[in-house]
Amino acid sequence: MASNSSNLLWLSSLRFLKKHPWHFALSILGVALGVAVVVSIDLSNSSAEKAFQLSTEAVTGKATHQIRGAGENLDESVYRDLRVESGFRNSAPVVEGYARVDGLNRTFQVLGVDPIAEEPFRDYASQRAGIELSEFINGENSGLVAASVAEEIQAEIGDTLQISVGGRGFQIRLIGIIEASDDRSQQALESILLVDVSTAQRLFDMQGELTRIDLILPENSESVQAEIKPLLPEGAEIIRSDSRTETVEQMTRAFEFNLQALSMLALLVGMFLIYNTMTFSVVQRRPLIGRLRALGVTKNEILFTVLKEALLIGALGTVIGIVAGIILAQGLVKLVTQSINDLYFVLSVQELSIGVFPLLKGIVLGIGATLIAAFWPAREASQAEVTTVLKRSSNESKITSRILPLAGYGILGGLAGVGILLIPNGGIAAGYSSLLFMIVGFALITPLFIVGMAKLFRPLLGAINGLIGKMSVRGVVTELSRTSVAIAALAVAIAATVGVGVMVDSFRTTVVSWLEAQLQADVYIQPPSSVTRQADATLELNLVQILKETEGVAEASTVRSVDVRTNYGTDNLVAIDQGAAAKDAFQLKESGPNFWQRYTQEDLVMVSEVYAYRNDVGLGDTLFIDTDAGNQPFVIQAINFDYASDIGTVTISRKIYNQFFDDDAVSGLALYAEEGVEVEALVEQLRERVSGMQEVFIRSNRGLREASIEIFDRTFTVTIVLRMLAILVAFMGVLSALMALQLERARELAVLRANGMTPGQLWNYVISQTGVMGVMAGILSVPLGILMAYILVYVINLRSFGWTLQFMITPEVLIQAVALAIIAALLAGIYPSKKMSEANPADALRNE
Amino acid sequence: MFGRSNNDQIIRMKENAHIQLNKLTKSYQEGTKSRSVLDDLELSVKEGEMIVLLGRSGSGKSTLLNLVSGIDKPDSGQVVIGGTNLAGMDENSRTLFRRKNIGFIFQSFNLISTLTALENVLLPLKLKGDSDASAEKKAQQFLDEVGLGDRGDSYPDRLSGGEQQRVAIARALAHEPMLILADEPTGNLDYETGKTILDILNKSVRENGRTIILATHDRDICEIADRVVELRGGKLEQVEPAEFAK
Repeated sequence: MASNSSNLLWLSSLRFLKKHPWHFALSILGVALGVAVVVSIDLSNSSAEKAFQLSTEAVTGKATHQIRGAGENLDESVYRDLRVESGFRNSAPVVEGYARVDGLNRTFQVLGVDPIAEEPFRDYASQRAGIELSEFINGENSGLVAASVAEEIQAEIGDTLQISVGGRGFQIRLIGIIEASDDRSQQALESILLVDVSTAQRLFDMQGELTRIDLILPENSESVQAEIKPLLPEGAEIIRSDSRTETVEQMTRAFEFNLQALSMLALLVGMFLIYNTMTFSVVQRRPLIGRLRALGVTKNEILFTVLKEALLIGALGTVIGIVAGIILAQGLVKLVTQSINDLYFVLSVQELSIGVFPLLKGIVLGIGATLIAAFWPAREASQAEVTTVLKRSSNESKITSRILPLAGYGILGGLAGVGILLIPNGGIAAGYSSLLFMIVGFALITPLFIVGMAKLFRPLLGAINGLIGKMSVRGVVTELSRTSVAIAALAVAIAATVGVGVMVDSFRTTVVSWLEAQLQADVYIQPPSSVTRQADATLELNLVQILKETEGVAEASTVRSVDVRTNYGTDNLVAIDQGAAAKDAFQLKESGPNFWQRYTQEDLVMVSEVYAYRNDVGLGDTLFIDTDAGNQPFVIQAINFDYASDIGTVTISRKIYNQFFDDDAVSGLALYAEEGVEVEALVEQLRERVSGMQEVFIRSNRGLREASIEIFDRTFTVTIVLRMLAILVAFMGVLSALMALQLERARELAVLRANGMTPGQLWNYVISQTGVMGVMAGILSVPLGILMAYILVYVINLRSFGWTLQFMITPEVLIQAVALAIIAALLAGIYPSKKMSEANPADALRNE
Repeated sequence: MFGRSNNDQIIRMKENAHIQLNKLTKSYQEGTKSRSVLDDLELSVKEGEMIVLLGRSGSGKSTLLNLVSGIDKPDSGQVVIGGTNLAGMDENSRTLFRRKNIGFIFQSFNLISTLTALENVLLPLKLKGDSDASAEKKAQQFLDEVGLGDRGDSYPDRLSGGEQQRVAIARALAHEPMLILADEPTGNLDYETGKTILDILNKSVRENGRTIILATHDRDICEIADRVVELRGGKLEQVEPAEFAK
């Protein structure tokens, strides 16, 4: 095509867009919303990841390897032997834990180090960084924080910081400021409280113990490792420093992937809206395209012009979407971090890190999705015969004759989706691909559904609203080529909100009923924990004793939760000493014979279904756990339902645990009230008994259930926010599609006005028709939404985490969907009705 | 119909013909039935000739024009324009042939609503590949010819029906096509305006030495024709001047 003729075609396109500003703006908004959701989730995830990496780098320093104990800790004599006896100088002791600093609403990583050994490992923690040894290791609790933290809490050197560790308060004298070499390190150090090893041991009640020993080993260090190994106690191991990072990253992978997938769902909804917009824009221009074709414009020229338009919409939408995504991410990053803190590990994200990759991904997805969505309408525009594009009715008859074949393709698409689901070990990506096929399949069947529903609605609307009612339904069918795309897009958009809504409801219902069974005792006592769902802090033993002996307490049981190394990596091991009550508290998915009789007698463990799924283990399999008595085999004899952890837990009898671990600590205590004792009164009494001791949460059964559900709701806040965004996208979609449809009918409405329809009747007609379309989209969104929810619950959730959930459809979600469609549809009718009833019909009747 | 007695004349015409339609057949499927619109239709047109194609609504006039322009393809037969058989070409080649060699005037004007009057006239010139300067000069000249030199910046919806059709005439002539096809050019206009349009069309076509086929159901238009043919039952019949007034 000659470039100057393409300029004229492009000019014509631009003027068309300018002539339809609402339509143009709403298409851009559709792209922008989709891109914004994807970019914001990506930025939140990558910011969390980057913060994690930075803090890991800061804490790991230049260490290449670590020595870790079998249980949680390592005896400090190991370090002494290594450094003093064997002269292995490239080693440094570390005691790690979490604490909260008063005046700051975030958790700090406490790093206990020996500044003399630190120099090769962490610059900021060594003597070279200017740490005054005499003050640092003078036997008092003293420490250092980053300059920005000191500024934030307005503390100066010499001041005392109040900190809280697992509910116990401590005072730390600020003896210096950690100086970072660059901004990157500065950011990483903002959540670190640097103390001496012995101070850290006091804080975490780890006298004589270390968390780990850091090592710097040369490449090909097998021989050095072989020298070190004999010095280590039973169960202790040398691991690469980065292997722990990998483990932690793996934990959050499914969580982050699901967030990304949900954000992609928002983009998919956005794509349907773009498809709708572009199809509409093409259908609207069929006569114009016909004229151009008659004048000698080729099919390819039409195709490229329409695609170029899509590119413009995509580019503008992407730019706006990226800006909005960055703004949205400022809020979302807090929610994502909160969920990670509740579920996995402590993470503090001080600032959003805007990486190039999420932005590039946003650009590729925004423009790519727009071009893909626009390709078919553009192709259809270019392929149409000139003789038929000169009159629209032929197009309508064409789609009418294609309803059944389209439905056939739709069924095939749906079946292809089912086929993908049946692929063994299909993974999460296959789950989402299957969902995509089903959505497209459903959209193709939509015209048939519309024709069917119109047959039912017509007499009904006729009875309610007379001729106008009948006309409004009939109009939906006669303009099927436009209305079917709009209704399908709306149904998909609203169905996404139903799908996510039902998934969250199903999850919540399952967790609530599981909690009811799990929480058998009357009162629960826990230390405050830095990670809400992980009991990493312990209860002081004298406090446990006092609580157990309180009047009114009939029985007590304890829980100990530790991280151990197994042949599947680092796992959470929970030791329980519940007697017969355990049978009622733990709902078993499957178990070996007489499990409850055997579990306190034999080396058996129970694993959660998530654990079994993640590690592909079952009854009878053996789990090798690094214990204080060496690597020991334990046979899996039960699989239990557990919704507290998406990483999975291994449960063992405390009696058996004590045989293998030199650990008498207690992470949680459950008390049973005597007959006739008021639980709330008992809680009050218990609180009084331990006042002034370790700060602990003493909650009644109901209180803990409510607290647990609150945590559950908090971790799902991100999902709910995404659902709200999907609702917003859907709402904008309904509004844009229907408003554009009505605005485009200005001429037809003018003819009706010219024939004597009053402005009031016109309002009635337009609103009835948009309302009918809204009702149709709302009704269609229900089965599609339930189908989406089914796949999200039974396929994607299962493949991501391994949970079995009860499928729960609450009427509220469905009513909300239909109401959303209808309200948006009615609102969409207001502007065109107003415009057309106020306009002079003569203007609309003029020839173009 | 061209009778058997005119065989010699037909052979001579074919030899000199600028446009030659040979045994054109076109039918449409209507449900299970096939409806024949053109049946072994023959027509020869000399260069610079003005042909009026008469026919009632639904007689197949538009179908015939669509075949001549290459918008549509015949079921069988040849459409030879300036020695090129359009029936043997693919869609893309027909489109490229159309943009260079054929000008269209429609009953409903069919101006591009998003382009100004001047740009509408520019479009075929630019599609043909003319440079900006020469195209604009030519477009302005043709707008002047149809008496709308001062309305170049107006969009179609600001022009009256007669003005729109004048722009369409300028657009059809601007790129100097071999053939102009006019489909009921006065069908949407009142008598006086229609007459003015016809005068302008007649004058412009004659002055520029263009060949034109003008389809209409209005026998009054026949006055300006060099030759009148009528489409009946899928075939063309020659109409003698004496019959124009009927």
